[in-house]
Amino acid sequence: MLPEYFDYHIRSRVVAGPGVASALGNELRRFERKRAFIVTDKVVGQLGFLDRVKKSLADAELDLVGVFDEVPPNSEFGVVMRGAAACRAARGDILIAIGGGSVIDTAKGMNVVLSLGGDYIDYQGFGLIERQLGPLVAIPTTAGTGSEVTAYAVIRDDATKSKQTIVSNHLAADLAVLDPELTLSLPPSLTASTGLDALTHAVEAYLSTNWRPISDGIALHACGIIVRWLPVAVDDGANLEARYEMLVAACEAGMAFSSAMVGCVHALAHTLGGLYEVPHGLANAVLLAPGMEYNLPVAEARLADLARAFGLKPTGDQARDARAAIDFVRGLLPRVKLPTRLRDLKVPEGELALVAETACLDAAIYTNPREAVAEELLEVLKKVY
Amino acid sequence: MATFKDAAEVYQCVGGFFKTVTDHPEMGEKIGASGLIIQFVYSEPDSIITVDAKNPPPKGSFFRIIEGPCDLKPDVKMTMTADIAHRFWFGKVNLVQALAKGDMKAQGPIPSILKLLPAIKPAYTLYPEYLKKIGKADKVI
Ligand SMILES: [Fe+2]
Repeated sequence: MLPEYFDYHIRSRVVAGPGVASALGNELRRFERKRAFIVTDKVVGQLGFLDRVKKSLADAELDLVGVFDEVPPNSEFGVVMRGAAACRAARGDILIAIGGGSVIDTAKGMNVVLSLGGDYIDYQGFGLIERQLGPLVAIPTTAGTGSEVTAYAVIRDDATKSKQTIVSNHLAADLAVLDPELTLSLPPSLTASTGLDALTHAVEAYLSTNWRPISDGIALHACGIIVRWLPVAVDDGANLEARYEMLVAACEAGMAFSSAMVGCVHALAHTLGGLYEVPHGLANAVLLAPGMEYNLPVAEARLADLARAFGLKPTGDQARDARAAIDFVRGLLPRVKLPTRLRDLKVPEGELALVAETACLDAAIYTNPREAVAEELLEVLKKVY
Repeated sequence: MATFKDAAEVYQCVGGFFKTVTDHPEMGEKIGASGLIIQFVYSEPDSIITVDAKNPPPKGSFFRIIEGPCDLKPDVKMTMTADIAHRFWFGKVNLVQALAKGDMKAQGPIPSILKLLPAIKPAYTLYPEYLKKIGKADKVI
């Protein structure tokens, strides 16, 4: 049965293709702006990607008035405010984010502050942004977060050692640029962990209590693409086809979970990121199969659907298919050379109870199909430690 | 038609109910332990109820209820119509859906809001009981 009510929102225009980042002249011209401001990190700066985008800017007769390249891997409230101040000082009127999830989320946060004023912390919450923000172009350099199209910005608050989520449909980029050439140099370990983040988005969106038919279709499609092409991209980073497939699938997974939301795997990963700065993709990778298993008692049919999406042959026994989906994800980790245990992520064993309790307070837990209880999550964590 | 005819009726029903919870052994204690100031800003009719679990509570209570505008700066502000609030206390509002629809807005750290959700579950049966007790059985849904 369909949900009694659902909404599905997508605001981003997506353009994709090898080399598209340097051919954005027409796309950028439509914004009718004059002063571009780039948000990125030091690594992207070194890779020469900015030159490609500069070509697009020149074609669109846009002046590049500033580059803020101080975004760290786990961005923080203060970084958002510094970036916004830099853009304001340069009088930038269109933001262009080039980088991974942390860069794009920082640019989203900057866009909020630049468009609406005040302090980023004031916008913590749900539905507080009620009007259109300034134009934002997002050019992901990882195939993972899907942040270019999502309604979220997840930024760390150093004061409380927690990741705080802002939710608003206005946050997603106006233009999402998927150029697989920008992901070719991503090392195998990052390719694998960001790919598992994307897979976790698709899986959790499909299992979410907030599922809707439109996100279902996109999530299942993304699952199939990711399990097929992620191992190829990890083994052979220069394989443009694999990179392209992964970049599009990660964006699809973003479109799915932007409306459907996620669940306990992300709640735990946000917690590990907040407390110990465990990289988001790695945390999701290690916890995805255990999280699916935790949800097995209430989500057998949907887990069996996932088995089919992964390309596994249906056995006619739903319980067996559901199990097979979990085992498949577990088997994928060594295949893409990722760690399989929490101890590999330097999580202190003595603090697992704290992790479980904190995860129960994360916004993502609210749409987990099985009502999460700290004691039960602790058992999950112990098992995978 | 709106459930409540004026702010006084909101305070009588919803505010009055909140006050019965201030000394509730489980719920009251958990809300009190949150240390938060939570403000509910209602429209149709305009009314404000503030839960103050930050400042020292009156003797025998775990927290304080303030009806109407006040100078406290809330940690969490929830904005909705009084009708949605009424339905919420029957357990008939899906929070995520209400937020997504724009029926409710939440300002402040989402985790602290979620933290209280399991704690306030007993309210869903207590609220209708309270309404009956004060002669407002017609409002039970
Ligand atoms: Fe994620």
